[in-house]
Amino acid sequence: MAATERDGSALAGLLQAALALPILVVPARAGAATVGEVGFTLLGYKEEGLMKVTEPVLWGDAVIDEKWELSASGVIDIITGASPQLVSNATGKPVQTITGASINDRRRTYNVKAGRRFGEFTFSASRAHSEEEDYLSHAFGLEARWDLNQKLTTLTAGYGKSNDRVRSSDNPALDEPRYTKEYLFGITQVLSPVAIVQSSLRYARGQGDYNDPYKLTLTFYPDAPPAFLPDTRPSSRDTWAWTTRYRRHYPSSDATLQVDYRYYHDDWGIDAHTLEGAWQFPLAEHYALRPALRYYTQSAADFYSPTIPRPTPEILSSDQRLAAFGGLSPSLRVIYRNDSGLTVEATAGYVYNARTLHFGGGGSEAFETLRAYYGLFSVSHAF
Amino acid sequence: MRILLLAAAALALAACVSVAPYQRGYLARPDMAFEPSAGTAEALGKTYSAKEAASGGASVGGGGCGCN
Repeated sequence: MAATERDGSALAGLLQAALALPILVVPARAGAATVGEVGFTLLGYKEEGLMKVTEPVLWGDAVIDEKWELSASGVIDIITGASPQLVSNATGKPVQTITGASINDRRRTYNVKAGRRFGEFTFSASRAHSEEEDYLSHAFGLEARWDLNQKLTTLTAGYGKSNDRVRSSDNPALDEPRYTKEYLFGITQVLSPVAIVQSSLRYARGQGDYNDPYKLTLTFYPDAPPAFLPDTRPSSRDTWAWTTRYRRHYPSSDATLQVDYRYYHDDWGIDAHTLEGAWQFPLAEHYALRPALRYYTQSAADFYSPTIPRPTPEILSSDQRLAAFGGLSPSLRVIYRNDSGLTVEATAGYVYNARTLHFGGGGSEAFETLRAYYGLFSVSHAF
Repeated sequence: MRILLLAAAALALAACVSVAPYQRGYLARPDMAFEPSAGTAEALGKTYSAKEAASGGASVGGGGCGCN
């Protein structure tokens, strides 16, 4: 009985929030002049035999006077370890080789976004900056949102531009541009009192330097001198990403189904599918558990090859991220949320990428299995 | 063209849905949000895109990085 009353009270609070805010805004207490959330997340990621990433993220968002929407985040990536650089068939078959000094890089990035509501419309602008030793990125975004049909439907249109510089810690002379323009159209639709779906189409056209300055290919032939080729890619890339996300709550078990699907296509010949499903259910008072499984599969780029064919092509990359492979990533998250707005999350996950997981078989023979573990800790407070 | 047809179908479906404001309490739950935690989404999204060819989601203006 007590549990029922507690659930009813919590539901009443959420109901107030739902009445006051458009469906795309994070739930918060209604009636306050300023509502929002601040949080800190720490990611630890470790690949077997390769690199290690530590990533602290500081983030927050707020709605002021039900008119202004603000959000910001700051991230530092601390990357150490080794990264494969050379693909060679010296041992008979092409394998990745780690060359040179181990990586020790830091990436600092921030994002800020501000929006203003005008009745059913919200217009926002965002700015992003990312800086590391061998890459620099300045980006901005413009977004328009239209809540219609009594806020059951939201249409979103966006435009973004990124001006990047590609550099190399091995070659101080390298400083090449890469420009990207992005276009987005999305729809969010309430399907029922317990179900909501969002579908977005993003198109991006990039031009500039896409070569990976650290990737090399060395191929030995039985009847000719060996060939050596730096990573050489097309100077443009058109990409499409169609993302659909579905949420369905089951009041009888107080559980929620979360399903995300993304179809990706680009003019390098890559088609990729990402499907992630999660089931969040209560574990005890204030605690919930969220097991999730992510599946990913991609085809190879047209110019991917672990060896240099003859005659030597103008563009070629042996980077196995452009190979045909698939990946499975299970994870488990424990969530603690109390009535004062404090949320603590702990996530453990595993990443397994292999050629045998390519959908329908036919993964690239030279793809070397990647095994990685990660842990995520996040604490946030809603106000 | 297919996308436009899908969008038109979605809008037609939207016109048929009726959920009164007082029925929207469950929709405001944190676990019904598309990105419940901005920090988690940012950290995991970048980690996956550094190991895969595909990238991009439901937003624009995020900028690039040297990881891919």
